[in-house]
Amino acid sequence: MVFKQLHLATVLCGLMASSAFAADVDYLDLLDVLKQNNSLTEQQHKSLVDALEDRAGNAEAEIQVATKGGLELGTYDGQFSFELGGRLMLDLAGYHEDQVKLGNGTEIRRARLEAEGIMYSDWGYEFGVDFAGADADIKDAYIEYRGSWPSTLKLGQFKEPFSLEELTSSRYITFMERALPNAFAPGRNIGMGYQSRGEGWITAIGLFGEAFDDDVANEGDEGWGVTTRVTYAPWRDGRKALHLGAALSVRTANDDNEVKFDSRPESHVTDVKYLNTGDITDVDTVSLLGLEAALVKGSWSLQGEAIQAQVSRSSGLATLDFSGWYVYGSWFLTGESRMYKAKKGSFGRIKPTGDSGAWELALRLSSLDLTDGPVTGGEADQLTLGLNWYVNPHLRMMMNYVRVDNDDFADDDGDAQGDDNPDILQLRAQIDF
Amino acid sequence: MLIEKNTAMQHRARSSFVVLFLLLLLAFTISSASAATERERTLVIGKVSSNPKKHYRYLKPMADYVVAQMQDLGIDRVKILMARDNQQMVRYLKRGKVDWITETVFSAVEFEEKAGAEMVLLKWKKGVPEYHTVFFTRNGTGINSLQDLKGKTLTLQDLGSSSGFFIPVALLLEAGLDLVQLESPRETAPDNAVGYVFGKEEINMSTWVHKGVTDAGAYANLDWDREDHTPSAFKENMYIFHESESYPRAIELVRKGLRPEVKARLKAILLAAHDDPEATAALSAYQETTRFDVIDDSVMAGIERARKALKQVESELDL
Repeated sequence: MVFKQLHLATVLCGLMASSAFAADVDYLDLLDVLKQNNSLTEQQHKSLVDALEDRAGNAEAEIQVATKGGLELGTYDGQFSFELGGRLMLDLAGYHEDQVKLGNGTEIRRARLEAEGIMYSDWGYEFGVDFAGADADIKDAYIEYRGSWPSTLKLGQFKEPFSLEELTSSRYITFMERALPNAFAPGRNIGMGYQSRGEGWITAIGLFGEAFDDDVANEGDEGWGVTTRVTYAPWRDGRKALHLGAALSVRTANDDNEVKFDSRPESHVTDVKYLNTGDITDVDTVSLLGLEAALVKGSWSLQGEAIQAQVSRSSGLATLDFSGWYVYGSWFLTGESRMYKAKKGSFGRIKPTGDSGAWELALRLSSLDLTDGPVTGGEADQLTLGLNWYVNPHLRMMMNYVRVDNDDFADDDGDAQGDDNPDILQLRAQIDF
Repeated sequence: MLIEKNTAMQHRARSSFVVLFLLLLLAFTISSASAATERERTLVIGKVSSNPKKHYRYLKPMADYVVAQMQDLGIDRVKILMARDNQQMVRYLKRGKVDWITETVFSAVEFEEKAGAEMVLLKWKKGVPEYHTVFFTRNGTGINSLQDLKGKTLTLQDLGSSSGFFIPVALLLEAGLDLVQLESPRETAPDNAVGYVFGKEEINMSTWVHKGVTDAGAYANLDWDREDHTPSAFKENMYIFHESESYPRAIELVRKGLRPEVKARLKAILLAAHDDPEATAALSAYQETTRFDVIDDSVMAGIERARKALKQVESELDL
């Protein structure tokens, strides 16, 4: 009997060594039956089961694979990860024109592929390219050192730490376009940035040149700037959040000594930029001061920013001051709440709770004044009513109705007529993965 | 003469072979020894995780903080190892691939029973030493006890949840109720059983009950108190009709066979961490832990409740 059991155990070992992993469950059942029939001793059964489990352990994948439409890979030691995602935004705009032709039409607003990852736990990267428009446009493209977490150091092209609405991803902003004062936000430039955070606060500072595709005439030198932002969120408890922030940016002009501020009427299908300073010459430095606040209370939220821009000029020319502000309120009819991300100091993804998705109603007032002294870039006030339908966390339909009130100087630097007051109705279908 | 030359050549070839063999043996020995030394010098912390990238940031600062105080024990390296599920963690524990893990009490019981892991400390995860399950419903359902759930639908969290699955299911089984899993929250429960459905995220669970999609829900008391899991506006229209006994919030475990001096040092470091300003950042990253406590009789009673509940659920639901 003992010989028979030994022989059987030997045969089973051989079988196990040559079997496929998928068959292991069958072998476990077989081993149980053999033990019940007394063909295997308790000891033999245990060692065979252990051997089987060991083999399963050796064969098991060390990589986690996940998808929410995109692709996420990661090792179970947390050392390496890779994500491939993207976003697609399809716009349709109809203009109730006043005097200036704006051009009803459609647009692929964003068509972006984005890859990001972590290597050897302490090094991260992100690289995104947008194919909307005629050219491939490099977006985030940076290397990040994460070895002193939660402090991080970035090198490459990324957004300067300025403006809550600018730093909130286009996937999550409440309206189709950012408000008029976004004309001042430095956006993405190539540089080096440091960020640290603690209980509710974030500080960020960076030294930046210009964006990858900015080219100074006649091989002149780029301008460079320093930008810093501090935010504090005394409440950051899920559906209740209060965000306060301030940012400062000082930038020297490039060798052209020129700067220009301009803005479309919060609609991107048209190319008319009513508010347009044209090239301001003899510029030494541009200083920006931004103040930002947001309040989330359940399904209600408020958000606002004010930005002041000061342009210092040489040749005895007077300093120019421009400014802008916006304020908006949002209400989720279906009870959801705007997702404040305290670790980023910006807003994130909405997750609908019901089968029919989430519905959000929002109203925004925005203003931008680009006229000072001899520079008559124009002034405008705009009122936007927005309705968003979050079909699921990754798919969103948007509708914006915008009323534009331009002053006499809002003439696209002479290319359009001032005091033009169109109404705009625009729609967006957006998916990200 | 030719024979002598051949013999000499054969001798040289044999000598070369022996030298080569010895060199290989030496290389193998050195590499094995260094591999063993590498493992002995490394403290491996682990966790079951569906998001290794995120949990790495939870574990690494605490592991670094602990290892910095273990140099005299010959440990100066840290490794993070996450498992995709409890079965994989059991295999890691059995093969000595992980030294120290942090888990819920139900997983801790499983690791103790299946891999011989030892529970060493209670962890005040997110500042809380214990928690319990609450059963809630909306006004007007007429549900006031577990028995009233017969023929009703109950939202649970998911199969791996302690407070949102194991504890409520064990209570329902103990109360003599039959359970039937439903495919969708819109499905109706049989008259003689409780129909349960998984809501996954807490906000879904409270929303379903609030909107009348399901009749009742069960999750942790901590979720009832969180505005983003159960908005105040929902609570005005809902009430708790049953609460479980308390269970330890989280447990630290070490593998069977971990050197006693390493285990003792780990316990000492963690028990003193809340008084050490240098541990603040590590504790905060470590799931906002505020302190660790020894496992006393009251914690042990909670562990035993979890053990009993786990056994009951596993045997009666055939998990």
